[in-house]
Amino acid sequence: MTAVVVETKELAQTIVASVVAGVGITVVFSIAIWGVARFADFSRADRPLAAGAAAALVGLALAATLGAVVFGVVVMTRK
Amino acid sequence: MNSDLILVIVVATALAFDFTNGFHDTANVVATSISTGAARPQVAIGMASLLNFVGAFISISVAATVANDVVDAAVITPTVVFAGLIGAIAWNLITWSFGLPSSSSHALIGGVVGSAVAAAGFDAVIGEGLVGKVLIPAVIAPILALTVAAVAIGLVYRIVGRQRPGMVTRGFRYGQLVSGGMLALAHGTNDAQKTMGVITLALIANGSLGPSADPPLWVIVSSAAAIALGTYSGGWRIIRTTGTRIIKMDAAQGFSAQGAGAAVILASTHFGFPLSTTHVINGGVMGAGAGKRVSAVRWGVAGNIVTAWLLTLPAAAAIGALAYGATAIFGSGALGPVLVSLASLSLIVVVFARRSRRGAPVPAA
Repeated sequence: MTAVVVETKELAQTIVASVVAGVGITVVFSIAIWGVARFADFSRADRPLAAGAAAALVGLALAATLGAVVFGVVVMTRK
Repeated sequence: MNSDLILVIVVATALAFDFTNGFHDTANVVATSISTGAARPQVAIGMASLLNFVGAFISISVAATVANDVVDAAVITPTVVFAGLIGAIAWNLITWSFGLPSSSSHALIGGVVGSAVAAAGFDAVIGEGLVGKVLIPAVIAPILALTVAAVAIGLVYRIVGRQRPGMVTRGFRYGQLVSGGMLALAHGTNDAQKTMGVITLALIANGSLGPSADPPLWVIVSSAAAIALGTYSGGWRIIRTTGTRIIKMDAAQGFSAQGAGAAVILASTHFGFPLSTTHVINGGVMGAGAGKRVSAVRWGVAGNIVTAWLLTLPAAAAIGALAYGATAIFGSGALGPVLVSLASLSLIVVVFARRSRRGAPVPAA
């Protein structure tokens, strides 16, 4: 009965995508913040290689965040 | 002449509902940003208002006319729509006066269901649609957002917990500007369409538009403007509840709540399983608190909010039915809608004037 009333496939897709996107975007952005903090620490400690790696991580995490935002806008326009 | 006048009243009432929708739902978009200090109140509300306006133009899918799956289309007349809108507006203002965030979509559905029942009896209600499109999503939305935000904030604290708090707070505040912007866009895209759909249906029913016509430009612009203006007016009472009374929020929790909210809303939009923005963002706020510590959530406040959600459909339906009954007393002409509009407007002005004096901006954390 419930399966008839509720579109179970859409519901399952919504749940999976919500968990992946919601947790994913928050974790990725947190990694960017962690990277910024580490970059500052490594720079002060005069460790350029480690600072460069932290900066690269920040760049990747911010790019992924920006990608998620663009994807979100695309989802809205294709509704 | 009569039908044209009723059409004008329906359009004006739909735009008034759209205004209350923006006014009522401002909190969904800005409350967390304001309470964590990510943005000053007027800046957050101005940005949300602009993005709601823009969001209304992103998609004009009239399929978003929410009552279609819930009420038999054959019984929907301009008077039924009018009475339903009165029910929705009244419930939005009642919940606003108590500072309770409730779903404007559910208020609209409830209002239309009530007026349709008053017009044509309980056979007018499509039970499967009501359960599948409204009741079950209403249960799923807050639980899903709560779970996502709780898991997310747990991981966030593990990742940044040992970093300097000042830098972390600044970072998440910047992030909140983006996540809040996404929420505002999604809100404008979802909610302004309801009004566009209602007005377009009324125009079609009146013969002013063809059966499968798209909304005219003036409908899109006026709906976008009404929701943006409502958002800009800012429902401070609900902003205070969502932003500071459910949990005392830090910037990471604010970002997690908004990120979870935006992800859930966009995922549900993408897969065609629409969920209420209000239920999602408030579930996200509760989750962001519970993920840190279950006792961090003021469950009494959360309980009041859930009670308002449970009451939304029946209460809006009862008011919608009363409005239809009062309209029908004066026959099928324009006199009923005119008198009910004037009576409603007078009540609204009185309630607004008395209550808005007590609303004050929320201080940043």
